[in-house]
Amino acid sequence: MRTVVVGAGLAAARLAQELSDVTVLGDEPHPPYNRILLSAVLEGTHDPAALRMPVPASVDLRLDARVVEIHREDREVELADRSRVPYDRLVLATGSIPTLPPIRGLVRLDGRLDERVHAFRTLEDCRRLDAAVPHARNAVVVGGGLLGLQVARALAVRGLATEVVEGGEHLLRSQVDARAGAILARYLTRLGTAVYTGARATRLTGAGLVLDNGCTLDTDLVVLTAGGRPSTALARRAGLEVRRGIVVDHHLRTSDEHVHAIGDCAQHGDQVTGFVPPAWEQAGLLARHLRGEDVAYDGARTVARLRATDLDVAVLGDPERAAGQVVEVSNPVTGTHRKLVVRDGVIVAATLVGDLSRIGLITQHYDRATVLGRHEPGELLTNDRPAPPVALPDDAEVCACAGVSAGRIRACASVDEARDTTRATTGCGGCTSAVRQLVLEGAPV
Amino acid sequence: MMKTHCPYCSLQCGMTLAREGRALEVQPWPEFPVNEGALCRKGWTATGLRGHRERLTTPLVRDRATGELRAAEWDEALDLVAARLRKLRASYGADAVAVFGGGGLTNEKAYQLGKLARVALGTSQIDYNGRWCMSSAASASNRAFGIDRGLPFPLVDVERTDVLVLVGSNLAETMPPAARHLDRLRENGGHVVVIDPRRTPTAERADTFLQPVPGTDLPLALGLLHLLDGMGAVDEEYVAARTVGWPDVRRAVASWWPERVERVTGVPAAELRALATLLAGAGKVMVLTARGAEQHAQGTDTVLAWIDVALALGMPGRPHAGYGCLTGQGNGQGGREHGQKADQLPGYRMIDDPAGRAHVAGVWGVDPDSLPGPGRSAYELLDALGTDGGPKALLVFGSNIVVSAPNATHVAGRLADLDLLVVADLVMSETAALADVVLPVTQWAEETGTMTNLEGRVVLRQQAVAPPAGVRSDLEVVAGLAERLGHDFSADPEEVFTELGRASAGGRADYSGITYDRIREEHGVFWGGARLFAESFAHEDGRARFVAVEHRGPAEPVDAAYPLHLTTGRVLAQYQSGAQTRRIADLPDAGPYVELHPMLARRIGARDGEPVVVATRRGELKAPARVVDTIRPDTVFVPFHWVGANRLTNDALDPASRMPEFKVCAAAVTA
Repeated sequence: MRTVVVGAGLAAARLAQELSDVTVLGDEPHPPYNRILLSAVLEGTHDPAALRMPVPASVDLRLDARVVEIHREDREVELADRSRVPYDRLVLATGSIPTLPPIRGLVRLDGRLDERVHAFRTLEDCRRLDAAVPHARNAVVVGGGLLGLQVARALAVRGLATEVVEGGEHLLRSQVDARAGAILARYLTRLGTAVYTGARATRLTGAGLVLDNGCTLDTDLVVLTAGGRPSTALARRAGLEVRRGIVVDHHLRTSDEHVHAIGDCAQHGDQVTGFVPPAWEQAGLLARHLRGEDVAYDGARTVARLRATDLDVAVLGDPERAAGQVVEVSNPVTGTHRKLVVRDGVIVAATLVGDLSRIGLITQHYDRATVLGRHEPGELLTNDRPAPPVALPDDAEVCACAGVSAGRIRACASVDEARDTTRATTGCGGCTSAVRQLVLEGAPV
Repeated sequence: MMKTHCPYCSLQCGMTLAREGRALEVQPWPEFPVNEGALCRKGWTATGLRGHRERLTTPLVRDRATGELRAAEWDEALDLVAARLRKLRASYGADAVAVFGGGGLTNEKAYQLGKLARVALGTSQIDYNGRWCMSSAASASNRAFGIDRGLPFPLVDVERTDVLVLVGSNLAETMPPAARHLDRLRENGGHVVVIDPRRTPTAERADTFLQPVPGTDLPLALGLLHLLDGMGAVDEEYVAARTVGWPDVRRAVASWWPERVERVTGVPAAELRALATLLAGAGKVMVLTARGAEQHAQGTDTVLAWIDVALALGMPGRPHAGYGCLTGQGNGQGGREHGQKADQLPGYRMIDDPAGRAHVAGVWGVDPDSLPGPGRSAYELLDALGTDGGPKALLVFGSNIVVSAPNATHVAGRLADLDLLVVADLVMSETAALADVVLPVTQWAEETGTMTNLEGRVVLRQQAVAPPAGVRSDLEVVAGLAERLGHDFSADPEEVFTELGRASAGGRADYSGITYDRIREEHGVFWGGARLFAESFAHEDGRARFVAVEHRGPAEPVDAAYPLHLTTGRVLAQYQSGAQTRRIADLPDAGPYVELHPMLARRIGARDGEPVVVATRRGELKAPARVVDTIRPDTVFVPFHWVGANRLTNDALDPASRMPEFKVCAAAVTA
């Protein structure tokens, strides 16, 4: 059974690891790499040599291999060089295509992008931007979504004066509410990154990027992170059912039973995910399904995490649209905003901005659909440890190794006496300072 | 005044026993370097079993008519056992008789048990409870380094590292005097990292504490490797010169970005990054694992992943750095080196290695072909008892199986199906109570023998008092059985040790050249030298192995019916199945309890001190709740010293070490 995967991203790499008899067709010149780390590479906190994903030697990996046609009736795909690759089952993992926002001047008269303009999707994009950074003083990031904020932080960490332009009313508008967006904007501002929301870039000129609010941002770099759409052209031409993405069922199967689709190019129910973790999960699930396990995809329980220095954001599910009761604690003074959407005791969505100390527990509850008690959502958002009592009661155990209470030590005149009569401090030694303190407390005034 | 060592854990603290009239008193032995005179309350009260009214002083035989145990003479009991073993062997073959040993037995006893099985009984069916202790670390160390010695350096080296990472170890409670080395490390400016689902007393004295979901120490290590590689912190020179296999590991960890690790482990990505930064900036890093990391169906892989971390940082073989396992039982180390393990012969020789068989057979004066091959691992052995094709008789030494085995109800059922169960013990343990024949044996201060502590240091426990009348040493019991089966075994510990030295000579754990006199003079003797790996590792090419591993997760994930993780462990005042410590009047014994977080307690309506019921697919336990904010809210903890905890635990096994998954299973708790 020969599986052919179109696309050589993270999801394709996972499939290739978990299935046998696989051909992977990638149109980039690079073997599969971990795209989620590109902003860390740009930031300078991740070595690009450490991006590469494992591909077993048995996998037929073909690079620079662009698929131009699917011949479903022959079960073959056709490459740009007109050669054909037969399949028993086909997996489309073609990802998404960045859309160019309607900004005049992005494209020069000769049809090429203005040299100040960068996309940020592939390793090539990352390298090109990385190479431009040392020659630039400032940058404007178009798009205030997850990718935009990561790139903006990365450029700021690299020492560029960075500005973010977001057409919507607040940052991360497809994930979080206005208050969370405002807190994020304040964070960024404090970190030295200017934020323009509700402002659209309309034109790129020699003077800079012109916004519809009248500002012109003088800039050496323009990074486009706004908008991408599922890459569906192949599927559409092959007559597969396509709405926003390639429509798949609970086995990630398209309208042709021999063709599956995963990742950014796929649409399950109403959902087109557009970032890496769901694609990764879909690849794992599809591998299990294709190996014959009885598993079904029930829509991603997504956790979107911002990967950027000093910007702490997590979005679980779709907190702005999920049905349920909202429990939230918002503190603009400390810059924290935490919100849980709870249905029948289960956390179905959440937003955490500025304080991720409980994320490890909240994601566990969310992923496992733990049924919480009535007080628990509130407790999860207020997580201060009570201060220990000032004075130890006499029956409190001070030395666990020897089983000695505070009272018995208070009755001793010296540390030596405590050691000799009670054996406190003779085990792990951890109570030595407490014993010294208690002996002092017990001493007659 | 007699210098000896504590009867309990793998630290084998030095202590002095002094006669005060009729009483025997524990006093410090300040010169012994491992504990420098410190002891925990278990050590201080260790003489409490001497003259205890529950000590067994006569063999007991189950009366066929009444079903009750009755007193018997030694000859009668041993004759009966030997006759029935011979008969079962004649009917069903040699493998119808099985032997189950313990990690608390001296080296001499472990060695003689192996010889009893392979020579006198001719059975392949021998294993021991050490399989449930440190076997995952053992199989990982063998794979990575070509040798398995818990710590390849003296414990005191801990004080001079820069960053100490403790993965799944609560040494401040399980081996309290060891914590002194932690404090000294911190006084020296070092940094202690503790990784545990519970904020234990050990974690309380750490500088950094990570609290993962039980069963996720492995992806945590993969995440660290991912970050270390991304940060350029891998010691490329060391990796090139001293290891093989790094490229595979590097590729494998490329997909363990910190936010993915966070989702699997419940450890915030920021904490993982901070730890990676700390490790990357440290000159010397020491990683130590213990049961928390190891007692899993992926325990071997978990240890391998942490060894990968140590190797990537270029640590193993460097002074005051590297990887080690904190062995648990008193003779966990020596117990696995001398032949009571199903697949091994003395000297850590593999039983399927023809040269090893020939050497050991030569010492034993038998034909190498007469030695059986590998037998079943501990749990698989118990699981086969009384079944078609499984053993019909079991001899138990130094183990309280019905308390300590996983899925204990099932195991008790298997024991009940035996034709013959023989248990040698000091007291009527829960397992002895099920036996057909109970043989009363000496304990600790009443006998002499060597133990090998967690550092690979061979120490000598010396007899300080005469045993009670009617009690024999395990060595005498083994010799008595061997004699009745037509073999001449020594019962003198020093003679047995000398023979053990010859049998182990040239093996991976080579004890030749170690003598009782040297041990007395040198505060114990390290086999293989105090520090290993400075020049090379034990693989033929001298290089350590990186092994790429993947996270499979616990064998029994939580679900709607059993939504909580259950984990188990020890408390300070008790030891293992508690057969000894529960009978010592000066040690508190309030029975088992269920540790749970206030948020969980409120969810289910549990109150501190009032009973709750913990249920798993295998059994139930009712015990008082202990509501503490030191445990993860999605996890409950039960100490395993009492009957009950292991009725809950899962018997899923690690494929390499055959270690059961004691440390995580799915549970439900109700008030």
